[in-house]
Amino acid sequence: MDTPENGTPTPEAPAAGPYVYDLAASPQRQVVLPKTAPLPSLKAYRAEVAAAQAADEAKWQKMLADFETAKAKAAEEGKPEPKAPVRPVPRKDDNDVKTPFPTEAADPDLHRLVELLADKVEEVFEQAGELVCQVRKECVLETLLLCRDDEQLKYDLLADETATHFPAARDFAFSVVYQLTSISRRKKLRIRILIPEGFEPDSAFPAYPTANWLEREIYDMLGIRFRQHPDMTRILCPEGWEGWPLRKEYPVVGLGQRDIDFREDRSGVLMRMAMEKAGQMGINLKVPKAD
Amino acid sequence: MLNQPTALEHILITTKVEKVLNWARASSVWPMTFGLACCAIEMMAAGAARFDFDRFGAGIFRASPRQSDLMIVAGTVTYKMAPVIKRLYDQMPEPKWVIAMGSCATAGGPFDSYHTIQGVDKVVPVDVFIPGCPPRPESLIYGFLKLQDKIMSSSIGDRYKELFEAAG
Amino acid sequence: MFVFLEFLVFKTEEMEINLGPQHPSTHGVLRVKLRLDGETVVQCTPIIGYLHRGVEKICENKTWFQGQVWTDRMDYVAAVTNNLGWAEGVEKLFGIQVPRRAHYVRTLLAELNRIASHQLWLATHALDIGAMTVFLYCFRDREAILDIFEAFCGARLTTTAFRIGGLREDVPPGMDRMVRNFLKAFSTGIEEYETLLSENRIWKKRTVGVAKLQAKDAVALGITGPVLRAAGVPYDVRKAFPSAAYAEMDFQIATRPEADTYARYLVRLEEMRQSARIVQQCLDGLPEGPVMAKIPKILKSEVCEVYHSIEAPKGELGYYFVGEKGGANPYRMHVRAPSFVNLQALPKMTEGNLLADVIAAIGTLDVVLGEIDR
Repeated sequence: MDTPENGTPTPEAPAAGPYVYDLAASPQRQVVLPKTAPLPSLKAYRAEVAAAQAADEAKWQKMLADFETAKAKAAEEGKPEPKAPVRPVPRKDDNDVKTPFPTEAADPDLHRLVELLADKVEEVFEQAGELVCQVRKECVLETLLLCRDDEQLKYDLLADETATHFPAARDFAFSVVYQLTSISRRKKLRIRILIPEGFEPDSAFPAYPTANWLEREIYDMLGIRFRQHPDMTRILCPEGWEGWPLRKEYPVVGLGQRDIDFREDRSGVLMRMAMEKAGQMGINLKVPKAD
Repeated sequence: MLNQPTALEHILITTKVEKVLNWARASSVWPMTFGLACCAIEMMAAGAARFDFDRFGAGIFRASPRQSDLMIVAGTVTYKMAPVIKRLYDQMPEPKWVIAMGSCATAGGPFDSYHTIQGVDKVVPVDVFIPGCPPRPESLIYGFLKLQDKIMSSSIGDRYKELFEAAG
Repeated sequence: MFVFLEFLVFKTEEMEINLGPQHPSTHGVLRVKLRLDGETVVQCTPIIGYLHRGVEKICENKTWFQGQVWTDRMDYVAAVTNNLGWAEGVEKLFGIQVPRRAHYVRTLLAELNRIASHQLWLATHALDIGAMTVFLYCFRDREAILDIFEAFCGARLTTTAFRIGGLREDVPPGMDRMVRNFLKAFSTGIEEYETLLSENRIWKKRTVGVAKLQAKDAVALGITGPVLRAAGVPYDVRKAFPSAAYAEMDFQIATRPEADTYARYLVRLEEMRQSARIVQQCLDGLPEGPVMAKIPKILKSEVCEVYHSIEAPKGELGYYFVGEKGGANPYRMHVRAPSFVNLQALPKMTEGNLLADVIAAIGTLDVVLGEIDR
């Protein structure tokens, strides 16, 4: 696990033979906190593309400058002129993977949302054929009611609601997404909000009663409480469970709850029964002594 | 000459009471319907048309722990479920046996996670472990035959053996 | 006078009973807390989580290829549809185009699995209500489907049938014959189920008008699958958002207007017939060609989130993935389990009805606890 200091092994470390595998120290069990906050967004993608282009251009300019200096140096020394640089072409990918990137919102539903909500919308874009609308965290219930009741939207089914933990992000900690489906119009829409740690978003229960258990699951797994939810208790883990399992700092193997020995003879009943039976059969058993 | 049956032994069978008891126990083991997860489906398949678990006297799946001799733990044991299993096991009358069916009940299986007990032997004592994810019905039948062997070779004193050993 | 009348009315007292988590008709480890007034259910509270195994947490620590193994164990009676959802979700995130032949084989296996799942539902539902023979008949026919899965991928239940980008290998020789034999046997088998149940007086007494759930409530509660279609809403993900080869298949959405347990039974029987039709079409129109797309050995994702849903036997099964830049495993994986959402309708369906109808309601919802608790 840790390197011994001053060349002497720590005394309490177990003797690690060739066949002893320290399960607790295996790399699969270490919690590695993510370094980036992978939140898909059109703005961020554009900034990234622009930065990559700028870096590419700068590299090319540097190559050109290098070539100029090399040429001047060669002319000074009377050597033959070096080869002119060729702008590197990005290596062609011959496999079928074409990652979908966020694109400009083209769907009329997103335009309608922007029109109705105006400055409450933070961002709209499309990615992999899915419509995404990010709204301000205070007006999520208003947005959902609008999506359900507006004649042109009519998103009548809340398919899914879930959240993601982003420990590496600076101004938010979680994103909560709502997957809406319109049965009559055959369309899907994703509403997204970004919330900081400790913020309690409005429950979607008044708009969609489905959200009852979905939000309880989010609370159970990630510890986000929802305001005005009818029953904000744990749903999958038992009451009194410690920690929020789907947060990134929570280890996969948990905090030790699963190692509780349920066969433990807590009250000493087994021992007493054994002594009694032995006594009935006329066997003298030694009474165990506490050291 | 000693091994030749006498005339009397042709019409009489001499045996021990213990053996008769074991034979009776092994031939009509009543399991409890205790399906937890995927393995329960294979347990049902073992009881259904093609595999017919009833051939071994174990076809009567009882709904109550108080009427059953065998607990087939078929599936993943979780932290929330473990006390329930313990209580059901305690409610079963002696003599009782436990089969841990599948790798989840044996050692946690693929679920090396925060809410999964790594093997049902942390909760109740297990007689037969059956590997597989899930085990085929044939595996369950084989495991059950092994349990029958174990019952046939057990003696009445075995019940207290562990207690004596624990007491020293 | 008024006081005197009050004595004539029986005073009743509410009683609280506990159904499960170990109960033969809760299909696993579901626990239902019931408040009863005599035989009438006053309040019904499902308690879940007895099979919570942390699948989402595990999948977030496994690679895109490995995670499929855990999807088998969620809805363990319909593992192939779970695999289909995972594979198609990941392919959507990476923009992988799957060959047409692979789509056809996937559709074929998924529909076979839908038949198997509905058969198991019919077997256990009938057993709960008190018909033992149907159980044996359904399991007899189901074994033929499991044999086909075994021929294809070596496992009966936990199949891990697909790979990201297609199939691991082409269909084995002889599978075509096996499927055709099954279809022949199934057409007589489903007649037998109908003979046993459809006009059975006891069956109708236990199911007609029991555990009603009207379309308005069903949509508000997010119910999908046969339960929604039995309320008259023709929503099927296979038709609404077709994936795999469903767009090329000719089949109908089975709906009934009655919204009760008997209607759900009829809808599921009709769905089995339609699935058999799809299987037949897949077999007849199976195109030639490769079964695997060209993908790298290690998949590294970009920043992307997708939600992909397919029609599992229980309803809409959705996978939500978040990928990080250069991530070899999902940053976040969430499953929209149809049983989880459908089970929320249990209080609505049972409150005010009799205690015996709770068993019918649990059976007709067709819940699988592995999927609810994940």
